[in-house]
Amino acid sequence: MTETLLKVEDLRTYFSTEEGVVRAVDGISFELAPGERRGIVGESGSGKSVTAMSIMRLIEPPAGEIVTGTIEFRGENLLMLGDDEMQKIRGSKIAMIFQDPMTALNPVYTIGDQLMETIILHQGVSAAQARDLAIQALEDVQIPNPEGKLSEYPHQFSGGMRQRVMIAMGLSCNPDLLIADEPTTALDVTTQAQIMNLMLKLAAERDTAVLLITHDLGVVAGFCDTVQVMYAGGIVEFGTADEVFHNPQHPYTWGLLGSMTRLDEVHKKRLHSIAGAPPSVIDLPIGCRFKPRCEFAIDKCGKVLPMLQDVEGGSQRVACHRAEELDLKTFTVTDDEHEEVAS
Amino acid sequence: MLAYIIRRLVYGVITLLALSMIVFSLLQMTGGGPLDRLKLNPRMGPYIDTLTELWGLDQPAWRQYLTWLKNYTTPETIALQNVLPVIAIGAAIGLTVLMAKFMKSQWQGLLVVGVWVLALWIAISNTTIKFNWGTSFSGAGDVWNLVFSRAGATFRLGLTALTLALIIGVPLGIYQAVRQYSFFDQLGTVGAFFAFSTPIFIIGIGLQIVLALYLERWTGVKIFYVTGMNSPGYSDLSAIGKLVDTVQHLVLPAVSIALISLAGYARFQRSSMLEVLHSDYLRTAKAKGLPRRKVIVKHALRNAMIPVVTLVSLDLAFMIGGAIITESIFGWPGIGRLYILAITTIDYPLVMAIVMVIGMGLVLMNIIADILYGVLDPRVRYD
Repeated sequence: MTETLLKVEDLRTYFSTEEGVVRAVDGISFELAPGERRGIVGESGSGKSVTAMSIMRLIEPPAGEIVTGTIEFRGENLLMLGDDEMQKIRGSKIAMIFQDPMTALNPVYTIGDQLMETIILHQGVSAAQARDLAIQALEDVQIPNPEGKLSEYPHQFSGGMRQRVMIAMGLSCNPDLLIADEPTTALDVTTQAQIMNLMLKLAAERDTAVLLITHDLGVVAGFCDTVQVMYAGGIVEFGTADEVFHNPQHPYTWGLLGSMTRLDEVHKKRLHSIAGAPPSVIDLPIGCRFKPRCEFAIDKCGKVLPMLQDVEGGSQRVACHRAEELDLKTFTVTDDEHEEVAS
Repeated sequence: MLAYIIRRLVYGVITLLALSMIVFSLLQMTGGGPLDRLKLNPRMGPYIDTLTELWGLDQPAWRQYLTWLKNYTTPETIALQNVLPVIAIGAAIGLTVLMAKFMKSQWQGLLVVGVWVLALWIAISNTTIKFNWGTSFSGAGDVWNLVFSRAGATFRLGLTALTLALIIGVPLGIYQAVRQYSFFDQLGTVGAFFAFSTPIFIIGIGLQIVLALYLERWTGVKIFYVTGMNSPGYSDLSAIGKLVDTVQHLVLPAVSIALISLAGYARFQRSSMLEVLHSDYLRTAKAKGLPRRKVIVKHALRNAMIPVVTLVSLDLAFMIGGAIITESIFGWPGIGRLYILAITTIDYPLVMAIVMVIGMGLVLMNIIADILYGVLDPRVRYD
């Protein structure tokens, strides 16, 4: 890797609840290059959003706490910064877009007010200049009549329009990193693609790196350079989108891919589903966390937690004891019995 | 907006009409009439018939009601003391007409209502106006004069209590929410529970004993008074002396009333603030990099105030209701005590007058609260 924008090392974010300690993110490490588009995929509860919130340092004690780890952003450990310094980074260097645009904007202030607030805060410009920049920002996200829209309230906007506003707000200060936490999940299918295209086009124009959190593999395949797959608080596989989609190394990734509908294949069989449910992150199994649901599990999987390891010939990394011996490409996913084609 | 205000005022008048009919009927239905007490006195015998005729009690109930309604709503005397009322009302009408065309925002609506309240207050205080609200059956005199001589005292007490409850209760709730589960928060919760569940006569008498009686015994100085609005020698005091004397009398009854409301506001504000603090848009505000203080003051507060407005407007009824007991405990010469007198003596004109004054206040407060919603929350529209 030539240059690193973000370097997360052994990050652990735990939440204390009445049932016990929830290890939402449990020792993850990854790097992100400037301008890179990274997809983070995984089921609900796999720690994707908590990772994002940890980077933004929006985890609030006493409920949740970053226990160990470092988050280096441009060589600076964010976890060591004071509140004031972190506030200067939030919204200006690292921006975030949230899942539900319907509730992400404050209902009692106008769109213009909320947009200009960010611009004035981070760019130190006058109100008049901020107004011009806000109009420009709304124009960039293709909102018609941006000047008139400044004085409107969020409830006068549709979901797609609100998410455009959120994108405008996120990109208004030309951040180095944009974290998008399932930005299109709450939207219509028809607006999803528009919003994704718009967001990534604008990010590319500004050379902004994107951390796209989603459970939609199709979105990742279409928009991301690299992918990391998370399962129960850990990263199980990492690689370029091409590598991961065409040559999955982890049984979980393989299962996820098998559960996708594809337009280029005629389906004769039912879609695959991964048996069972993710483990409770309070009471994690010893060894590989995917073991209870894994059809390739061996004894070792129940005893030793596999670490992320490089896969030969590429940038791919995987956390699986059997990665080397298994060639998952050659297995066919069927619904009930998974017959091993070559073994 | 203007159409909305006018519509609400029309509804308000209908509400008050219905209220007067219901209360009048209830009075007719109570066992024993206003004369029964007098009939017990053998010397009153010859006068009973005269009084019956004089007060119109021989008429059928519907005619009595109509007579009352006519007298109640027609000014007996009306005279301008100077030209101020004309200017005030004229200015209010002018502003309303001027703003009617552009009246889009709720701020303007509130401004117009405010200007009207001010104009009417100037008009009334600079006019000799008197309605024929009848003469009290219990011999307390002319009802109009009676009610307005007492209204000031109740107003002073109620407004002080409300202000105290608001300026302490609301920030208390906000602080508790921001520092949820801290020692202070727990203390506030327990305190609010006690204040809210203690009957007002216990609080009132308790305050009298501790803060007036014991405090005077320990310090040897009279700090708070337990009864009345002013000391007997009030008119001879200097301006500062008058102020001190007023405060000394006002504190205990005002605190008694305020304590209960305060507890309610703090609880309500706390839960409403907590809800907002966990909302998505607050997370957005933090993600923007806004300082914590600004996140709370700008983004959380306004949203968290919306539900509290309801409570405060409803609470005005409680202030008047609660004042009945408090005024009795503290010998406060307000409407509350007059009300008790009126009801126990089945004093038709007095009961009607007081009920209608309270009713008018509530109707007006409700309209103002509804407009305030719109000011705080742009999603509320009045068309």
